[in-house]
Amino acid sequence: MLMIRSIVRPEKVDNVLAALMEAGFPAVTKVSVVGRGKQRGIKIGEITYDEIPKELLITVVKSQDRDFVIKTVMQAARTGDKGAFGDGKIFVTPVEEMYTISSGIKETPEGEAVEVKI
Amino acid sequence: MKEVMAIVRMNKMNQTKRALSDAGISSMTAKDVLGRGKGLVDTTLLEGAEKGYEEAIAQLGQSQRLIPKRLLMVVVPEKLVQKTVRTIISVNRMGKSGDGKIFVMPASDAVSIRTAEGGDTVLDGIT
Repeated sequence: MLMIRSIVRPEKVDNVLAALMEAGFPAVTKVSVVGRGKQRGIKIGEITYDEIPKELLITVVKSQDRDFVIKTVMQAARTGDKGAFGDGKIFVTPVEEMYTISSGIKETPEGEAVEVKI
Repeated sequence: MKEVMAIVRMNKMNQTKRALSDAGISSMTAKDVLGRGKGLVDTTLLEGAEKGYEEAIAQLGQSQRLIPKRLLMVVVPEKLVQKTVRTIISVNRMGKSGDGKIFVMPASDAVSIRTAEGGDTVLDGIT
């Protein structure tokens, strides 16, 4: 199980959400963030903007879906064919356990699903 | 040490905070987020639509709006992971879809900025 965190342009969010929905990954969490990248922000004239607004999309997927989801996000979030600076980054982190609160079911990457007794 | 990331209903936040601090987990970070889940159908909405309420019918066609939620992030030592998870589940469980998810991820280190100390000692539950 992997958590895929993608930082994308705010105007590309609808695009990415639609693409993920179509690809069969409806579950997404969206967080507004500000940040800068390798280009150290944007310099316009004398002023440097280094807190550029972006959206962070969090989605947790099974390990075998990893490449497909990354490809989907990348295609949907890219500006034009070649992409541009500021299109964002995708980070992948392992998730060891996942709990669904409504049912109390615990899932692990090995595929076991057990109900947690409270 | 592990990072526990939970997505819960907004109106359960106060109860969750209280329950966590009662359980001895006082430090946490929370953020307003928008999200969508697997997209299970809301039965109350269907019932309403069957009874002919216009508001319910208007919402039927819309697929998967983003719903406001709270994202909770807590870093806890290994031995408190189960306690944290159980506390969050017991407070937030209503048995309906939309109750949220909890993810447990590995965290390699935690450093207190004030004292520059590292390791488990900067976390809750270790004295």
